[in-house]
Amino acid sequence: MRLSLKRLALVSTALMALTHAAAAQQTVVWWDFLAGGDGVRMKALIDGFNKEHEGEIQIQGTTLEWGTPFYTKLQTSSAIGEGPDIATYHLSRIPLAVNSGTLSEVTDEDMAGAGISDADFTQAASDAGKVDGTRYAVPFDQHGLILYYNKDMLAEAGLIGDDGLPKGLNGLENFNKILADFTKDGKYGISTPTGDRYRTIYSLFGQQGGTMFDEAAGGFFPTDEDLTKLTNAIDVVKGWVDSGYTPVQVESPAALALFTSGQSPFFIMGNWEVPTMVDLHAKGELFEWGAVELPTLFENKAAWSDSHAFVIPANSGKEVDADKRAAVMKVIAWMDQHSLDWAGAGHIPAFNAVRESAEFQALKPQSDYAGFADTAVFDPRTILAGPAAPLGDAWSNFINPATTGEIEPADAAAQMRDDLNGQL
Amino acid sequence: MLRDKRQEYLVALMLVGPFVLIYGALFVWPTIQMAMLSFTKAPLIGTGDWVGWDNYVKILSHKLFHQAFWNTAYFVLLTVIPNTLISLVIALAVNRLKGPVQGFVLACFFLPYILPVSVVFLTWNWIIDVQYGLVQGFVALFNGGKPISLTRTIPLFMPTVAFVTIWWTMGFNILLFIAGLRNISPEIYEAASLDSAGRWRQFQRITWPLIWPVTALVLTIQLIAQLKIFDQVYLFSIGGRQDATITLVQYVYKLAFQQNKGGEAATAAMLLFGMIIILSVLQYQLLRARGEK
Repeated sequence: MRLSLKRLALVSTALMALTHAAAAQQTVVWWDFLAGGDGVRMKALIDGFNKEHEGEIQIQGTTLEWGTPFYTKLQTSSAIGEGPDIATYHLSRIPLAVNSGTLSEVTDEDMAGAGISDADFTQAASDAGKVDGTRYAVPFDQHGLILYYNKDMLAEAGLIGDDGLPKGLNGLENFNKILADFTKDGKYGISTPTGDRYRTIYSLFGQQGGTMFDEAAGGFFPTDEDLTKLTNAIDVVKGWVDSGYTPVQVESPAALALFTSGQSPFFIMGNWEVPTMVDLHAKGELFEWGAVELPTLFENKAAWSDSHAFVIPANSGKEVDADKRAAVMKVIAWMDQHSLDWAGAGHIPAFNAVRESAEFQALKPQSDYAGFADTAVFDPRTILAGPAAPLGDAWSNFINPATTGEIEPADAAAQMRDDLNGQL
Repeated sequence: MLRDKRQEYLVALMLVGPFVLIYGALFVWPTIQMAMLSFTKAPLIGTGDWVGWDNYVKILSHKLFHQAFWNTAYFVLLTVIPNTLISLVIALAVNRLKGPVQGFVLACFFLPYILPVSVVFLTWNWIIDVQYGLVQGFVALFNGGKPISLTRTIPLFMPTVAFVTIWWTMGFNILLFIAGLRNISPEIYEAASLDSAGRWRQFQRITWPLIWPVTALVLTIQLIAQLKIFDQVYLFSIGGRQDATITLVQYVYKLAFQQNKGGEAATAAMLLFGMIIILSVLQYQLLRARGEK
């Protein structure tokens, strides 16, 4: 007994000595929600940072479940001072985060200390990180909805142009005709996961130039014309379902499998599945593939888009440690400066120097679809917007079911408007 | 004499004290605070202005609350009695096995119960997947040869989740029933056999009345557990029409964590709390009265 006590004492002294040595090094606790193919790239970036800053700053990363689980945990932990030192966040959700007091301000001094400034990002991105002129987020990327295609199947149908890219996909009737031709022998014209269809619908709404939110004009879908445009957009996707071009009900993993197994020549998804395709192709398990901007089925080009950004949780009750904050800002700046690797995950870097570099321009298929960033449609600036927010709920409760015939498209559009305006 | 009694009280207090203190601090006090919260317009975190009964009026007339109430009631109907009956039938069958075979079969039925809900969800989500799921071959027979999503088709959602819940939780009920069945003395059955009572008669006149206290217990535990249903319903409805299949606890979750309305969420939770107390006391009294008759 006495011996083991002695041993315990020895071990604990040794442990204390160890932690003491480590105290000189800053540990930055990091939370993200990146669990897909892009999560692997993010882990590589974190490892790269840790290796380069050994003995100085170490990131301790944790990946949580995307959506409501991530955002509620961040909000509640930040409110009691138990949140991480840094977290990833969607720019669309910044107004809600600021409204619930989750985030800490990122000052100009913070930015300057890490050698970055607003000028390093596009005006739109740095504005999206601010509420009433106060900065709460540093942009990291822009991501959006793109069209993945099976090059072999398209070439067979004569749809690949001389530049090696798909041609002749624009126009609603034309595109539907192409889908109809592919739909046979148990194959589908296009794969669109049911739970994600709202992104396609919002893109098509944007292609008609619809206004989703205008506070002065009365809130969501202010005019009847906007409501009609939303209904039109739903009708397009519902048409694909009704004509059998795409399955009625299909979960995201199964929709991905429909494409990667060659059962469907097209797949509409966010650019975050690019690494999945790259990895499968590298293993020799995927046909020749590519990705381009969504076809223009109405008047304008437009695609749903959002941005990942970095935020510093408010952690109320916890004293602000200047050294820690400098370390966090250093992490943010480093990540942005090294975001070429993040572009490998399919995202478009927000950092101008990286996005405009020759290396990014040479990345394929990223540069084939990067154009969507210029004509992107974002969530409106309201506290109801963003993932795991009332707007996201309304999409799944009214609009996705309208594509499967559970609700009439026009009713769904009206119900969505009323539901959201009722929460303003 | 008097002194002894006082000493007894002291000992009793010392034995019960720690529990009462912890119970008070970790359960009674937060419950009182929640009741207070339900009268304020508080966000999820922090305090808010006193609004009296406003929240109760608002929640009771909220369409989604009614939806959540009926969905929960439907789920209770689909699970509580079916789960109890199926567990009893399986327990009767298992009870007739002997030795290691019985142990093995019992373990098989109990195994799902030790799985975490996330594992149950993932397993079944793939089994019932509309494109690649195992059961679609069977389901398609009833849908004109076409597969159909069991969790995204709203009328099929609750029955599907109820089925998975019964599969998952019946192991524990079977265990309770087996314990009850073993308590019935074999001599009673022997005597009944001598009087040439058949198997059905034996069940009717001996097993059913003697197992009744266990049945009442299982029914009550089930009722409370299913009124508080959240995990499975939430997991299976992610990415779908959550409002159409929302249950009461999920409604509380939505108000508190997604809409940042702490006061209203506390109100909904108080209403659910009241419902559970009334229903479970009523049910237990009813079942006990029946048993004593």
